[in-house]
Amino acid sequence: MNDAVVARRRTILHVDMDMFFVAVELRRNPDLVGKPVVVGGDGARGVVAAASYEARRFGVFSAMPSVRAKRLCPHAVFLPGDHDLYSRVSDEVFEVFRTITPLVEGLSLDEAFLDVTGALRLFGDGVATGHEVRRRVKQLTNLSCSVGVASNKFLAKLASVEAKPRATRNGVEPGHEVFEVKPNHELEFLHPLPVESLWGVGPVTLEKLSALSIKTVGDLATFNARVLVNVLGDALGRHLHELAHGRDDREVEPDREAKSIGHEETFSEDIKDLDTAHDQVVRLADAVAARCRNSGVGARTISLKVKFADFKLITRSVSVESPVSTAQAMVHLIEPLLARIDFTAGVRLLGVSARSLSEPELQMSLFDDATGEGAANDLDAAWSTTTRAIDDIREKFGDSAIKPVSSLGKKRQPGSSKWGPSDI
Amino acid sequence: MKFRVERELLTEALSAAARVASNRNNAMPALSGVHMSVKGDSLVLTCTDNDLSVRSTLSVGGARDGVAVVSAKLISDIVRSMPEEKVTVDAQGDDVMVSAGKSQFTVPTFAATDFPNILVAGTQPVAISAKVFGEALGQVVRASSSDMQRLALTGVLMVAEPNSVCLVATDSYRLAVRELPGATMLGHGAEIVVPGRALSELERMIGAAETMTMALGENRATFEVGGATLTTTLLNVEFPKYRQLISAHYPNKVTTAREPLLEAVRRSRILARETTPVRLEMSSNLIRLSVITQDIGQVVDELDAKLDGSEITVGFNSQYLMDGIDAVKGDEITIESTDPVKPAVLRGVGDKNYLYLVMPQRLTS
Repeated sequence: MNDAVVARRRTILHVDMDMFFVAVELRRNPDLVGKPVVVGGDGARGVVAAASYEARRFGVFSAMPSVRAKRLCPHAVFLPGDHDLYSRVSDEVFEVFRTITPLVEGLSLDEAFLDVTGALRLFGDGVATGHEVRRRVKQLTNLSCSVGVASNKFLAKLASVEAKPRATRNGVEPGHEVFEVKPNHELEFLHPLPVESLWGVGPVTLEKLSALSIKTVGDLATFNARVLVNVLGDALGRHLHELAHGRDDREVEPDREAKSIGHEETFSEDIKDLDTAHDQVVRLADAVAARCRNSGVGARTISLKVKFADFKLITRSVSVESPVSTAQAMVHLIEPLLARIDFTAGVRLLGVSARSLSEPELQMSLFDDATGEGAANDLDAAWSTTTRAIDDIREKFGDSAIKPVSSLGKKRQPGSSKWGPSDI
Repeated sequence: MKFRVERELLTEALSAAARVASNRNNAMPALSGVHMSVKGDSLVLTCTDNDLSVRSTLSVGGARDGVAVVSAKLISDIVRSMPEEKVTVDAQGDDVMVSAGKSQFTVPTFAATDFPNILVAGTQPVAISAKVFGEALGQVVRASSSDMQRLALTGVLMVAEPNSVCLVATDSYRLAVRELPGATMLGHGAEIVVPGRALSELERMIGAAETMTMALGENRATFEVGGATLTTTLLNVEFPKYRQLISAHYPNKVTTAREPLLEAVRRSRILARETTPVRLEMSSNLIRLSVITQDIGQVVDELDAKLDGSEITVGFNSQYLMDGIDAVKGDEITIESTDPVKPAVLRGVGDKNYLYLVMPQRLTS
């Protein structure tokens, strides 16, 4: 095979940082290396955000209630998590990715797709490029990562799972570091995998597939596509059928802008009345709006997320024609949603998020519309000058220098107890 | 049905038809068609989307009388692409054949019986000056909205004033008002809202014509110009109260040559995106126009001007500003303003019949 052919074959890397949050903590506190470390909320209702491989040996994993993690691994070091730091380190890591290729699409703080098709000439093949990524990340950030290599995004993501170190009862087994799903051998790799490895197979779909005796991706691939579409619906049926044959032609979209900006908080005590909830929503909206403005965007959709004491989760949204970027306008839009929530059973989590982000509306309207969404945009306009002043104050004196009245006296910043409040 | 005609003549008539024909009504496919009817040497083309209908008559070489309905978009594209000057259209059975030279297209027809009857306003038509009305439409329709969610704003208000008729349109960001002194097409106190889309089609139809008529029915209006007829349903909406938006007096008024200002704004649009305002700094003898678009570049232009009032800086959406300067008549233009967050008014010096009000864009820096 000549160079030209190698250079043309689409090659995607999925790079996944190894226990990222924990690794960042270990980097600033090397004494913790080799110890079981858990990052997350350590209060009664906290959840685990990340666990070191040493903690994973005891069965601790992400999203597990912290209480359970403490029972499984009582001697683990529990850290509250420092989202700002992780976010800064993530920026460093992504900068390293961009030294390999500009085609970097972040999935979260600690994983990204890299389309290295055009970079193969420099580094050799996909596997060599993967090792180069690992080498540079290690050298420049002192963090390690695992790399999946394949001809498309979906297979690359599955491949990186194979590349990861594994925690076993006997210790941590190093992984492949770089794992490639070889071209023309995709189905050999894919078909033995359980069907829930596919993107888009959640618990509900899994149940439907089980009813059809579909357990592995191979089962799915040989299943009649028409019946599949009947059972799962057109979009999902086709999507899974394509994936099961290893087909995924989605491009790596570099610099994908944030699709939403949100803050949520799990409370140490359930909220049982509208007034308290309203205060919290004002606080969360204030933080969301500030982040929108920092990113130079406004939102046309504002969502309210509510998790009840019984863990039932609902999301309600409202959309407006022109983007809003002040807390006042966001709160105005959320209020009617909030008023319809029944707080009697208790609410453990509230979240506010901004979606449909675009540049904020600067064009003013001739008509004063005192009702509905027009009012939100009018509020946005009315508060824009004050809000700019607030942003200036925060820039100079820090985020807690100026706050909504309803959150005065509260120490916590929105986002600081993302994984559940501390008991302290 | 069979006829032969100059390609250019048919192309022009069919493009108008293709614009009017509905392209989204799956329930009534015949609405996406153009109805062609030949009698002797006369071809009548009709298109409708149920709200707006256009009928035009062409002189052709008729070979066989008859009727056919065929996709307006398809036949319009076909005729335009034909290689020869003369085009023959021949309907046989369920197909229509379009040929010119050695090229030949065959496309299916819709059942002519599915094509709706076109209702026209039944009242006595009133003659109006096509020249004046066409000019007024050009000045006003541009300010109407195309957002069907805000139906009232998609229309143009025609309202009878004592001794005149006013045409008014607004998309909530700008407002255009044109007075037609001495116009009599509306009865005393009458007020109608005509869809902007119909009037923009009418403006094209008017072209260079001198005369036209308008007839007003219960819920539709029919215009006739140069052998073509346009009928539109009227919008049954409450048009926004617009008079209160226009102040009797503005503290700041700047006067400058219209054409150079138009050119400067047009130039600046090379860099202005929808969200970047054109900034006008108005001082005693100068308008300084600037656009700064992050990551793209900046432009500064200066124009001689005369200012009555205080120096003021206002930002505008470049398209809205350009539309206004372009619509105003005369060599000189005035821009009147109160402050950077209140509407500004554009008028031609010496022209009392037209004004264009535009709401500023907020300046962020």
